[in-house]
Amino acid sequence: MGLLSILRRLKPSPEQEVRLLLLGLDNAGKTTLLKQLAAEDVSHVTPTQGFNIKTVQSEGFKLNVWDIGGQRKIRPYWRNYFENTDVLIYVIDSSDRKRFDETSLELAELLEEEKLAAVPLLIFANKQDLMTATPPSELAESLNLHTVRDRMWQVQACSALTVEGVQEGMTWVCRNIKFRKK
Amino acid sequence: MGCFFSKKSKKKSREKEGGTPTNTDETNAVPLGNNTDEAPKQYSWDKRGKVDPKDYTLMGLKDVTVGRLPGTLNGQQFFIQDCENCNIYVFDHSATITIDDCINCRIVLGPVKGSVFFRDCKDIKCVVACQQFRTRDCKKMDVFLCCATQPIIESSTGMKFSCFQYFYPELAFHFKDAGLSIFNNNWSNIHDYTPVSGENNWSLLPEDSSVLDLVPAPDPESEFKSVRISAEASRSIVPLTKGGRRKGSEESCLFVFFAGEYTTANARKLIDEATAKGFVLIQTKEVSMRPEDVKRVFQNNSEDLVEWVAKGPVIALELNGDGVVEACKNIASEVFGSTKVFVSDNKTTSSQDVDSFFNFADMQMGL
Repeated sequence: MGLLSILRRLKPSPEQEVRLLLLGLDNAGKTTLLKQLAAEDVSHVTPTQGFNIKTVQSEGFKLNVWDIGGQRKIRPYWRNYFENTDVLIYVIDSSDRKRFDETSLELAELLEEEKLAAVPLLIFANKQDLMTATPPSELAESLNLHTVRDRMWQVQACSALTVEGVQEGMTWVCRNIKFRKK
Repeated sequence: MGCFFSKKSKKKSREKEGGTPTNTDETNAVPLGNNTDEAPKQYSWDKRGKVDPKDYTLMGLKDVTVGRLPGTLNGQQFFIQDCENCNIYVFDHSATITIDDCINCRIVLGPVKGSVFFRDCKDIKCVVACQQFRTRDCKKMDVFLCCATQPIIESSTGMKFSCFQYFYPELAFHFKDAGLSIFNNNWSNIHDYTPVSGENNWSLLPEDSSVLDLVPAPDPESEFKSVRISAEASRSIVPLTKGGRRKGSEESCLFVFFAGEYTTANARKLIDEATAKGFVLIQTKEVSMRPEDVKRVFQNNSEDLVEWVAKGPVIALELNGDGVVEACKNIASEVFGSTKVFVSDNKTTSSQDVDSFFNFADMQMGL
């Protein structure tokens, strides 16, 4: 389920670049997720200071995954990365209840962004490996996702650390990219 | 239950093949599995029993000594919230810990596999070992830290750091359980997301700071009396490193132990031997090397080292002091004669050895 196999599954039109954007609060697990997608060691992930990007190429198609730092101070820079996003992947730390309101707010603001209009949204309810994590159904309720009507969306439970659930999320991503309004 | 998606309409999804985007009334995501026969996927978290986060929370406590004894947390997540004037001892390894809205507390956190995140805290003195160290909106904290990655602070002021210095009998095992190496400690180079020009939001604690003056041992009447802690420098599970503090001498030496049965014990022995002679430990790293890294890092005469890096991670140390290279070479031959090691050859090239190795290690351990 690495990045290369995702790319092959997508079969974008020739010369097309597929662009995935990973956003979410700091400490959500975005970089761990990115490293898992790239089949790299995740035992030594450091807080992201700017952004990380992984690119794979196959048969003329290119897949870029952008992982942007989520500290409050640098969220204003997220908008620099919106353009040409094919799928927005929003990562949530399911075990950090104290910040559900905060992440809910940030997500809501993203969904109002012109440059992200109609972009399919995958929400990873991450850190499900923790026994104290909130189940995804409860999380989806807290986020008021039933009010989202202008795009495709899905909540996927996962653990970026153990990789469980990640493949299912990426399968959804693959299936929904072609529905993006261009 | 693993996935939760917007209202489905399979009919609609089939109509979408042409690529028409949804309008606001329509359905939404193609459900995973996409056919109704498929049973909903079961994940490991669906099958396990439920746990009450309250059992893993210290909340709203005042003027008390609390925490967790060894073996009571066993790698679970832990929460500390709204505590004031407490002495908090978490003497076990955990998955991740968040500390919110605490004031005037003294806290010891046993090895944390993931992140330690302090938010909206004030007047905290703590001893922490973790993979990631994060703060936001904190004020006045003294931290004796062992952190595997670069510590970060955000919107925080008066943050002071020193090297982790602590011992209790189970602590070494807890480091292992948390997957943390005692040799990977970036305690002194903090990244500040909100620097203020003309000011420093963080600094290093004075080198002679006493851990127990700042973070006292548990009350002998408390439940923690059974935990025999020590904050003596020589007993610290994490070797004391000078880190970013100014070095006393221009002369440094690189000493590397290759993987073997007693690598950790050997590294500790070297530290004891060298510090007894008055030399100073600057930094350490435990990291895997590939054959292609060997030549670049060790330069000449390194062919025979290539097979050794395949056996496991190496432990590297930088020692500092006038005459340290000669001393290390002597120690290598006298104490570690039958162990595979690399020691800087002379004091003119030793600085380059140090830079080559630790630059490589930093790159290896970043993204």
